[in-house]
Amino acid sequence: MSIQHPLEECLKTDLATWEIGPYDAALPGPMKLRLSLDGEVVVSAAYETGFLHRGLEKAFEQQPWRAVVAYSDYLDTDGSIFGELAVCLAVEEIARIEVPRRGQYVRVLLSELGRISAHLGYIVRVAKAMNAETIIHYVLRDRERVLDLFELATGARYTLNYLRFGGIQTDITDGFVERVLEVCELFRVRLKEYNDLFTYNHAFLKRTQGLGVLSADRAAALGVTGPNGRASGHAFDVRKAHPYSGYDLFDFAVPSAGGIERDEGASVGDANDRFLLRLREISTSVDLLKQAAEGIPSGEFNYFGWGEKAIIPSGEAYSRVETSRGLLGCHVVSDGGPSPTRIQFRPPSLAHFSAIPELVKGIRLEDLPVLLATLDPGISEADR
Amino acid sequence: MRGSVFSTLVAYLKDVLWALRSVWGSCLTAVPYLFGSGDLHREVTELYPDPISSKTPDDLPAKSRGFLFNDIDRCSGCRECEKICPARCIRIEAEPAADESKIWISVFDVDFSKCVFCGICVEVCGPNSLRHTREFEGASYSNNEMVTRFGRGWVSPEQRKKWAAMRRQIEEEDGVRS
Amino acid sequence: MSWMSPWIEGIGILDSAPAWVLAALSLIVIYIFIVVPCAALISYLDRKLTADFQARVGPNQAGPAGIFQPLVDGLKLLQKQPRDPVSWREAAWLSVHTMALYSTVAVLPLGSAVLLVDTDMSAFLPFWSALVLALGTMLLGFSQSGVPGWFGGIRVAAQTLAGAFPALIALLCSGVAAGGFRWSLLAAAQGTSPLQWTAFANPFQFLAFAVFVVSGLVTLGIPPMDAPFSSTDTHGGVSSGLWGRRYILFRLGRFYGFFLWSVIAVTIFLGAWSLPFGGSDYLREQGYLRLLQTLELLWLLLKTLLLMILVIWAARVNPRTRVDQVTDFAWTVLSPFALLALIGASVVVAWGYFQ
Repeated sequence: MSIQHPLEECLKTDLATWEIGPYDAALPGPMKLRLSLDGEVVVSAAYETGFLHRGLEKAFEQQPWRAVVAYSDYLDTDGSIFGELAVCLAVEEIARIEVPRRGQYVRVLLSELGRISAHLGYIVRVAKAMNAETIIHYVLRDRERVLDLFELATGARYTLNYLRFGGIQTDITDGFVERVLEVCELFRVRLKEYNDLFTYNHAFLKRTQGLGVLSADRAAALGVTGPNGRASGHAFDVRKAHPYSGYDLFDFAVPSAGGIERDEGASVGDANDRFLLRLREISTSVDLLKQAAEGIPSGEFNYFGWGEKAIIPSGEAYSRVETSRGLLGCHVVSDGGPSPTRIQFRPPSLAHFSAIPELVKGIRLEDLPVLLATLDPGISEADR
Repeated sequence: MRGSVFSTLVAYLKDVLWALRSVWGSCLTAVPYLFGSGDLHREVTELYPDPISSKTPDDLPAKSRGFLFNDIDRCSGCRECEKICPARCIRIEAEPAADESKIWISVFDVDFSKCVFCGICVEVCGPNSLRHTREFEGASYSNNEMVTRFGRGWVSPEQRKKWAAMRRQIEEEDGVRS
Repeated sequence: MSWMSPWIEGIGILDSAPAWVLAALSLIVIYIFIVVPCAALISYLDRKLTADFQARVGPNQAGPAGIFQPLVDGLKLLQKQPRDPVSWREAAWLSVHTMALYSTVAVLPLGSAVLLVDTDMSAFLPFWSALVLALGTMLLGFSQSGVPGWFGGIRVAAQTLAGAFPALIALLCSGVAAGGFRWSLLAAAQGTSPLQWTAFANPFQFLAFAVFVVSGLVTLGIPPMDAPFSSTDTHGGVSSGLWGRRYILFRLGRFYGFFLWSVIAVTIFLGAWSLPFGGSDYLREQGYLRLLQTLELLWLLLKTLLLMILVIWAARVNPRTRVDQVTDFAWTVLSPFALLALIGASVVVAWGYFQ
């Protein structure tokens, strides 16, 4: 019980309201935040999204089946391969297509490269929120290498449009696998550099430790999956739980917050855990890349006997993919017509958004960009 | 849980020392870049457009999806690309040419301000006339300049009459022959 | 005006002019020929070195190796229109801010001859100016009637109050060693070789030097302690509403604060202006007074620039510190260490006295 000081009575201040957005340096993309501030401390926040709504799901219904993959790139351009993969898996389930082993390996290669590139982008966003300039340039330089690989394999750097129902568009270019292994070696070196420069920096740790703690129970209740959920101790990974595209053939350990040594009393699931988990995921991805690159079988890369004009039979299917942000679900309904009847996505970022109001309570205004950057909700996939 | 004064002090000093070391470590990490050579000194950014150092289309991989090019002599005017294009950026108008077995493609416009370079049009192209080049320099001041025209141009009424006459003539000759 | 430096009297052309005219003139001369070129030089070096650290190219278009980039930037900002009509409040506070800052040009120690004001209190005058500057910056933030400026203003106040105490204690350390706070006294107490500089005389003085530099960052809000001017959460804080010419004024003011602090740090801790290897004495004996003054000035500026570059280096690789952590840091780390340094320095001085 604190006794109220008489001065406090006369200096009584109301809460301030500040609305930021739709465009603001503090925000990860076009969205709106209505903040209630007590001094610099955020008391409550309400968010509003939908500024990047492009009617993507409706647009699918007006496309021929062949153009569907090209559209799914735009679900989330940070990791466009995941949207393609989700759609392809669902359609393949409807049409009962078996993807050849080589096609699956190439899909794994591209998924893990996409995960690395998305996580590198994540490091950049976090560093930018804290004005750590140098790490941004180092990370972007290394992401260029990954994007170059994408261009070599698929012809595009961001919106790949490479997967096809039943496999991949064309066989991978000669020399791609060797360059993937090169990049794996590179990241072994670079990750240490990132750690020296940024991860173990005192100022960085001071700002992120204990910030925005999300408990495992709340993460599960809100449906927060992916690195954010695993950082909170909610160890769920689609790649392990419901293996797709041959992920069960690989030997890898999914990092989770449980394994990190921490001081006593420190909480699990803060912003620092979320950041660290991404770094550890990069090394997991490097492991996977190595296995996939070394074990890639030769042979067919596309479903044999799948004519280009073939019609997707009527039916529906639901596929799950582990993206760089979490569980991406995709529900495809087909009535046997030339274009899909309905394609619906369950983007992981919607759950991350719903975690914002409870995470921002009690943090300082200055930590808001850092919190949002470490939580990393993808506006593009949430608004779609 | 109250620690002794001494242990608190030691923890405090350790924290300060750790902070100093981490700041110093961060500073040191950047130094090799200042004096480094090879990969470390290679710059992330470069002057653009710079004729010497910047990437040219030849540096790009063979699969690179740059601007579209349509070989109008081989194009059959089947409109497959127009139908499949997810961005609706291709516009084709075609009519029967003088020789009835061929098609006169009067308009084949690709609007690169809409194009998403997905490459589906190239995939569906039957006669393999449409292909991606590796060109990527396409900045312009207005959207109109972004439209690349591969068509042969509109047919004037006189031309149409002439063609009709030619066709009739061919038909008559065929009729005479048969 | 007896404390006015002999430098003004030595000019000779304007003997008949009143002293205040001379003082004002010399302020302008120092500002134009020393402060502004230093600002340009530091901004160029900052961008070029940062570019090297970050594996970038940096400015390379204006002039050879982009050397004229600061000039071009200045000209560009000068011809920009103000975003909104000048509000009188903002104009008033910007001018207060500027005047408070540049009044300290008079006390800037720039060599044995370029000492306009050399009193027993002169080492404290820049602090006064830093506090007034903080007040001006705070009110400048408030006058923008926007949330970002408001938060920026509050943060400026918090940081300045937190940083001023350890800085003053650190200043006392060097004063204890020198026996006074007159610039000439502080300079004379230090020898010409680096080992005789106050900062390296004993560990306590080095601690005081470190505390002084870091608390300067806190007081003036220089990166990485620049939460009042943070662009991610408050769109640039105090400077969020400034544009074009007003922004130039503001940026130059911030630079000048940094420059002032570094000059003082060099003067009181890093051997002031005395040339290495006894060069000062040699030149004075030989009677090359003008050459001596010029070399002293350049030597002092060189050391200042090196110190500033060190700070910039640290700022570029470290993330921005949160404002409450900055104030915590100033009160719980800088202040105790400053006091420790003061006690240690006093004991060392007393030891020498009793021997």
